[in-house]
Amino acid sequence: MVGQTKPARPIPAEALYDAVKAAGVTDIVAVPDTHVRSLIKLMRERDEMRFIQTATEDEAITLAAGLVVGGRRPLVQIQHAGLFACVNHLRGVAIEGQFPMLFMIGLLNRDPEKAPRDNFDSMVRHTEPLLDVFDVPYYLLDGPEDVGNIEVAMQQALDRNGPVAVLIGDQTA
Amino acid sequence: MPDTKRMPLDGALEVLHRRRDDQVVVSTMTTILPWRSKDVTERDLRCVGFMGGASTFGLGVALAKPDVPVWVLDGDGSLAMQLGSMLTIANAAPRRFLHIVFHNGVYDTSGSQPVLAEGKMSFTGLAEGAGYAKAVRFDDVESFDAALDDLMDVDGPVLVELMTEPLRKDYVRPTPAQERLPGALAQDWPTVAESLAKA
Repeated sequence: MVGQTKPARPIPAEALYDAVKAAGVTDIVAVPDTHVRSLIKLMRERDEMRFIQTATEDEAITLAAGLVVGGRRPLVQIQHAGLFACVNHLRGVAIEGQFPMLFMIGLLNRDPEKAPRDNFDSMVRHTEPLLDVFDVPYYLLDGPEDVGNIEVAMQQALDRNGPVAVLIGDQTA
Repeated sequence: MPDTKRMPLDGALEVLHRRRDDQVVVSTMTTILPWRSKDVTERDLRCVGFMGGASTFGLGVALAKPDVPVWVLDGDGSLAMQLGSMLTIANAAPRRFLHIVFHNGVYDTSGSQPVLAEGKMSFTGLAEGAGYAKAVRFDDVESFDAALDDLMDVDGPVLVELMTEPLRKDYVRPTPAQERLPGALAQDWPTVAESLAKA
């Protein structure tokens, strides 16, 4: 185990759902993702938070920004590959536009025994460094005990008028 | 560029300006400055620096405030960069959503390079295929003017494809006003948010 003290463990979808709700999220703007499919299933089944699917991550960011203009509090739910795909919108909309925006990013294929930066998979390995380049704060959720950081991250996004991310370390249960 | 009948951009914008009331207007790229020369309210949003994003940005506003009409002043090159957004919009089905595409056949701000498949493709056809409630193409100001009131009453999303003349024939170095546009959204949206919060 390199660079981390304990392996990542699956977080039950129900625990993540409750934490997202507790953060005051009104809308989930999402691109389909294997890593958190149990969470997406819950979100789609319940109507407490509106679930909006987009074709691309670029659209998820702009749509979420529009929701913020209308007074809503969205969560952008994407995968690491999607983060790489939407870098210019992250920069041009979320950061330069100064939108409070919480991202949930699934680290698909992450080796749970290793820190994300030490993973073989380049999508996992480069996620945190990419967020660092843009000074986007992030929280790694490596087990059920970490879900409280979703509310912390949302508050930080609101305070800084910019993006903050939570990274889902292992596939949700 | 194929020989297509086209209307002047200014004439098309004038038609919209005459109907402007409480709509949120999201403009992007070529239309931003000509539109602002006619019409600026506390509900104007400018999108620069993320081509193709205007339509889903407007969709977000429309979903947050379903009773507030939203107009997106989109470009052909811009929409081509995010064609998937048409599926997202059709699926979300915003009721008071007018997606106006200024189809001038070129990337006007970058040196008038042609838009792909110009003369063969139709945004109206794409919108119909995506599942918009209605999609109509106009190539003269008078027909657009005559139809717009009815189109504003249709339950959306509605796409209006306006065949317009390019603004320029070659690249023109951006003016200082254009160079400042990438930061415009951060400047605009708090004002719009405040206006919508009162609605």
